[in-house]
Amino acid sequence: MSRKNPFFYYGGKVLSFVLSVFLLSLAAFYVARLAPGDPLVSYYGERAEKMTVQEREQAEARLGLDQPIYVQYIRWLENALQGDFGISYKYKMDVLKVIASRLPNTLILGGTGLTLIFLGALALGAVCAWNEGNWLDRSICKAGTVVSCIPEFWLSLVLILVFAVSLRWLPSSGAYAIGGGGFADRAVHLVLPLVVTTAGHLWYYAYMIRNKLLEEIRADYVLLAKSKGLSRRAVLFRHCLRGVLPTYLSLMAISVPHILGGTYIVEAVFSYPGIGTLSYESARYQDYNLLMLLCVLSGGLVILCNILAQIVSERIDPRMRGGEPPEVTDHG
Amino acid sequence: MDERFVLVGPRTPLPPPAKKRAWYEGKPLLSMAVLVMIILGCSGCELFIPRDPAYMDLFHASEAPGAAFWFGTDTMGRDIFSMIWYGGRVSLLIGFLATAISTVLAVLFGAVSGLAPRWLDDLLMRLTEIFLSIPSLLLVVLLQAILGKASVVSLSVVIGVTSWTSVAKVVRSEVRRLRGSEYVLAARCMGAGFFHILRRHLAPNFFPSIMFMVVMNIRSAIAAESTLSFMGLGLPLEVISWGSMLSLAENALLSGSWWIILIPGTFLVVTLLCVTGVGNWLRGEGDRRESNL
Repeated sequence: MSRKNPFFYYGGKVLSFVLSVFLLSLAAFYVARLAPGDPLVSYYGERAEKMTVQEREQAEARLGLDQPIYVQYIRWLENALQGDFGISYKYKMDVLKVIASRLPNTLILGGTGLTLIFLGALALGAVCAWNEGNWLDRSICKAGTVVSCIPEFWLSLVLILVFAVSLRWLPSSGAYAIGGGGFADRAVHLVLPLVVTTAGHLWYYAYMIRNKLLEEIRADYVLLAKSKGLSRRAVLFRHCLRGVLPTYLSLMAISVPHILGGTYIVEAVFSYPGIGTLSYESARYQDYNLLMLLCVLSGGLVILCNILAQIVSERIDPRMRGGEPPEVTDHG
Repeated sequence: MDERFVLVGPRTPLPPPAKKRAWYEGKPLLSMAVLVMIILGCSGCELFIPRDPAYMDLFHASEAPGAAFWFGTDTMGRDIFSMIWYGGRVSLLIGFLATAISTVLAVLFGAVSGLAPRWLDDLLMRLTEIFLSIPSLLLVVLLQAILGKASVVSLSVVIGVTSWTSVAKVVRSEVRRLRGSEYVLAARCMGAGFFHILRRHLAPNFFPSIMFMVVMNIRSAIAAESTLSFMGLGLPLEVISWGSMLSLAENALLSGSWWIILIPGTFLVVTLLCVTGVGNWLRGEGDRRESNL
């Protein structure tokens, strides 16, 4: 019944999103607080280690760290609902501002990477399916398997070694030169991280497209289309590719967080100032407020993308209702 | 021919006997051979490595590959040739151990979820989703903090605990498919317990379909070890593994010592490739029909 009424349908989705994010924030809060480590060190730096017991207690009381965890969580939740996520212990700034200053960098890298992967995988998969079994298909498959086996961090190192250290064509780290920041400057800094991000994921999707297309061109409607005189190209691009697209779209929706998450390592190796390096820092230095918001944001994104993928595939294919969205695994 | 029997009707020629495939056809021989070589070389490395891999010879730090040091030395003066074989042992061990942990977790979770009533199944799957959405970096840091200073075992646990979900999903859907079958019902009627059904009836059926993923998990675990150690979240420098060897890369980049980066990395990538080769063979993509295109 609820399927019929869009209000209940979307209401249910929203409700399950809110509930999931709430559970996620609760889990992340407990997990972060239970981890050993001293948040005072990230707030006061070296000084924290020289504090007397009384000074410590005062400092903890001021930051609210002396309360039981559930009280801390309720306080955090109350403030968060009013848009106040606290200050970063390390940067002494509103965490929203800290994240806002880094977010564009990650969005540029991840967004461009995602577009390249999306289009590149379609093109590569179509080329392979078109040439099924001949030398081009086989060599692309071999090359793809090899590239997808290379760990991202090592690929980054090799590229830095070749293009930054030996040839000196490209910068090895950062998002822009000191004092610079023009478009050309940023673009030059993006080349290597982008290559690594794309290379790491491209083949997984391209191979999937290839296999789906190979299944599709064995369907009976292809015979019909051919017998009514359509060319090979028209059949492949106008019919088969269209048949594959819905699955691909919902898979891509789920993998948005995967690809954004994949930029973490790339960001770390290239010391690219984005969300990835920020999460790494905040986890290492027990910067609770920052860590919480990052967790909730990235986790919320994952859940949101999952729900979107479900809605998309249910709209396109009503048989999917009640089923699961296609699964993403890390295997190439 | 026996005369008591007479063949009648049109003679149809017997179909030519199917060409028997040689035992090696369709098997990834090269990958297997290289993999066996690497595994044997790493496990028996004491027999042939020329130097103590942990010995820091500061007079010969960052020396390029040559006659004395075949693969050169790292920035702390350790012999890379010896370290590769010695460290490969740790990397491979973590790969296998982490996969064993994740497989056991996945099978248990998947089977419970698959056999459970609908509401519990939904709940478990939702929990998995939330678990998946916590950035794995945070989980790793947290688990490391709980388990104390990183060791081979703790790192395997960390990698195993963060990588079971995809196999669990497959196990779950297979179990859901199998649970209605008559033999499971029969076993239940005879009073079989959860573990008996899992071991005797379910596992033999879903095992082939997760085999490929399990092998690929070995690959991911080896890659994860090297990535974490490289980022300073995994094994410390003094525990030699391919990852911890690569954690010297930053110094090496500054001094342009390419061999510190390229040689251990090549070994790592070759191993990963061989494991992938074996995995793809296990996936065994059946012969396709004729294309209609």
